[in-house]
Parts: sequence; structure tokens; C-alpha cells
Amino acid sequence: MIRHIAGLGRRGCELLEAMGRAGLFLAQSAVGVPSREGFYLWLRQMHFVGVLSLAIVMVSGLFIGMVLALQGYTILVDFGAEQALGQMVALSLLRELSPVVAALLFAGRAGSALTAEIGLMKATEQLSSMEMIGVDPLRRVVAPRLWAGFVALPLLTVGFSVVGIYGGYLVGVEWLGVFDGSYWGNMQSSVDFIGDVGNGMVKSLVFALVVTWIAVFQGYDLIPTSEGISRATTRTVVYSSLAVLGLDFVLTAVMFGGLS
Amino acid sequence: MSDSPFVVIDGLHFSRGDKDIFRGVSLNIPRGKITAIMGPSGTGKTTLLKLIGGQLTPDAGRVEIDGQRVHALSRKVLFRLRRRMGMLFQSGALFSDLSVFENVAFPLRVHTDLPEAMVRDLVLMKLEAVGLRGARELMPSELSGGMTRRVALARALALDPELILYDEPFVGQDPISMGVLVQLIKRVNEALGLTAVVVSHDIKETLSIADYVYVIADGQVMAHGTPATLDVDQDPRVSQFVHGEADGPVPFHYPAPDFRHDMLGAGGSR
Repeated sequence: MIRHIAGLGRRGCELLEAMGRAGLFLAQSAVGVPSREGFYLWLRQMHFVGVLSLAIVMVSGLFIGMVLALQGYTILVDFGAEQALGQMVALSLLRELSPVVAALLFAGRAGSALTAEIGLMKATEQLSSMEMIGVDPLRRVVAPRLWAGFVALPLLTVGFSVVGIYGGYLVGVEWLGVFDGSYWGNMQSSVDFIGDVGNGMVKSLVFALVVTWIAVFQGYDLIPTSEGISRATTRTVVYSSLAVLGLDFVLTAVMFGGLS
Repeated sequence: MSDSPFVVIDGLHFSRGDKDIFRGVSLNIPRGKITAIMGPSGTGKTTLLKLIGGQLTPDAGRVEIDGQRVHALSRKVLFRLRRRMGMLFQSGALFSDLSVFENVAFPLRVHTDLPEAMVRDLVLMKLEAVGLRGARELMPSELSGGMTRRVALARALALDPELILYDEPFVGQDPISMGVLVQLIKRVNEALGLTAVVVSHDIKETLSIADYVYVIADGQVMAHGTPATLDVDQDPRVSQFVHGEADGPVPFHYPAPDFRHDMLGAGGSR
């Protein structure tokens, strides 16, 4: 019994210590004077985590918008309210689905790759050798990736929403015959820029920070063996998915639940 | 000042988990000489280099490089100090996304504002010194183990460091590349007059180039002296190591229960 309590305490201490390390890690890598070289490194990472994630995010957005319209239509048509399809699709996407699903896809596509890449650099002593050359790997390797993720995910979320709404239009208007004036008109009158688009973007920024932070930290902090890399990559996906879903509830409660 | 040791290690304690790696190691690395640190595998020789380079922090004791206490420096000053050091990693640790040329150019590009033509000249000079000028366009994945280490040596020398740390430079090399590396380390040291620390357990090669040798075992300095004095050292542990005898004070067997008992008893358990 005592051993279990001691074990619990030890795990608690380890957790706190890891969180402290992660916090220091974030502070040391994200805060610094931008340089021209840093800009180029960032740009290259933007291509890697942003541009190369475009395809999966856009295709998913299109299908989710289409499914949303199809499901929404079958329910709304019972009440003769299919004219509200546009606002239903837009609000679901902007407030909820785009930030969350884009973040989950981003964690799977880019987050795991960041962890594996940094982890392999650590395992092959490339990070150590960089340190010994007098270059801080936190600034040179981690910072550009952190900032690229932080900027790329919100942009991908915007793309997700746009494509999703278009997917809803394809199914609702082109296929099921909802009047396109009411699809766009109801959407325009019911979507609030600050309340819906703005809050969705705030969510996306929070998710971007958390997912990228988890990904690069897991890569930097792993045990440099092949097993360590595979575990850390899995942890990145699991932790970031849980963090995104958990934070989504908290943020939704604060933004839309009347708790603020 | 120039007679004072370049690196001073005093009363160093370091442990990993429950295992003590160093229990009060003190040694001096003289300026402009090749100092070898030897010892059986697993005695923490690489750890010692990481402690000198400030990549690990000791539990107690101090490490001074040219009068500066490595572990009391701020992160920024430590990185500046590291520009005066070069380190040759056991794996070479070349940046796998950069060509041989770019690997050697990397320290020059990040730490200097030299024009491209001068960077090119310097890189080619370093590569010429290690005999790999013709391999500059290759990627690290296309190099053999010996070539990787030579490129890494060229990179470590790119900024003309005052101190160079070699981590097991001879491990896993065929006789020819081994000979090449031994000659390179010796020649580089003579030509540039830099201070070198060679961590190794390849006795013959290391003793042939070292000016002074420390033997480390069980977390302590077991013996030190010039290669000639170590060769005739009477301490059975030193003699076992220097002459490569399989059994002696350092046992051949990892601690285990009695062999007969193990074979006959406790059926089923491993």
C-alpha cells in the first residue's frame, strides 16, 4: 500500500519535472531575436509542415463539409428547415470541426514527422555535434519548427473551413437542390465574424501551439534509441490528440457556454 | 600562463541514476599536447568528454577550460566558448541533410561573415588536409565509416579550434583507415599546435601518438604517466589493461552465480 502511494508520488514528481523541462524548453527555443537566416529556416519548415499538409487537410475538409451537409439535410428537411443548411454547415465548421479536425490531422501528418526527425537527429548525435560547434540546437533546429507549426496550422484551418463550406454547397445546393440564395444568405446573416470566425481561430492558435510544442519536445526529450523514437512518435500523436480534444471542451465552455 | 594546463578537472563526481560513473576524478590536460584518456568500455570516457564540453553537468567538482569554469557559464557564454573547441564524435555525427562540403562549411557559415569565395577556399583546404577534396559533393550516406570520420575531423577543424576532443576515433576502422586517422591526429596536432584529448581503448594506436596518458577505471584515475612509464607499470590492473590480458584483476566474467549451480538447479527459470 505504502509502496503504491510512494510510486504515485514519484510519478507525480516525474510529471511535474517533465512539465518544467517542457516549459523551459519552450521559453528557450521560442523566445529570441529573429534573424534573416532564421527566417529562411522557418520558411523551409513552413513548406514541410504547412504546404505538404495541404493535401490531406483540404481533402478531409471537403469530405467533412459534404457529409455535414448530407446529414444536416436529412434532419432539417423533416422540419422544412433545409434553408438553414448553410448556417448549420458554416457554424459547425468554423466553431468546432475545422480547428479540431485540422489539429488532429496536423498532429498525425506533421507532428509525428517533427518528433521523428528531431529524435533521429538526437540519436545520430547531430544535435550534440551542433552544440559542440557552438550552435544552439534549440534556436537552429527547434525554433523554426515551432514557429512554422504555430503559423501553419491556423492557415490550414482557414483552408479547411473554406473547402468544407464549399463541400457543403456542392452536396446541399448542387445535389440536393437547396436554394443557393438561402444557403449563402442565411450563412451570411448568422455567422458573426468575431464570435464564430474569431473564436475558431483562437482555438486553432491554441491547438497549434500545443500540438507543435508536444511534437518538438517529444523529439528533443526522447531516449535516443530506435524504440525511444517509435515511442515518442506515438506519444506525440496520442498526447496531442487528447490535449486538442480536452482543450476544445474547455475553450468551448469558456467561449460559447456562457461561463466567461 | 602558457604553461598552465588548458583543461583542469578537479574532484569530479557524476552519476547516472544509481550508478556512480566518476568518484572524484582529477586530471590536467596540458596545452599543445595530445593527452589520452583510456580505460575499459563502460568507464564513462565519452561522458567525461561531454562533461568537458559542458553538455552534462557534474554532481560535484569543477571543470575549467583556459581558466573558465565550464559549468558556471551562462548558456550564451558556454556556446561562445565551444567555438574554441572541436569535437570528433564516434559516429562522425555529420548533418545528414548536407553534403560533405556544406558540413565542413557549416561552422564557418554560422560563426563568420566570410565571403563565399573564402569559405570555399577554407573548406577545400580542410578537405585536402584529410584527403577528401574529391568527395566534397557526396552526401554523408554515401561515405564509408573511415571517410565519415575524416570529414567530421575536417569539420571539427574548420574554425581552427584551440582544443579538440576525439571520442573513440579508432573504433571500427579497418587497418588502413586506422593508420590514416592516427597519422592525421598526430599531424594536425603538430601543424596547428592545438591541445588534443583522445578518448580511446585502442592501446597500441593511442600510445603511439599520446604525450601523456590517464587510465580511468571504477570512476577514478587508476594511473597516469607517459606511454613509456605506463608500459612498465607494476600495478596488475594497469598492466592487464595496457597489455590486453583477458583475465586478471578486471574479471572476464560479469558477476554471476556459480556456474554448476546455474546449470543444474532452478529448472524452468532463466
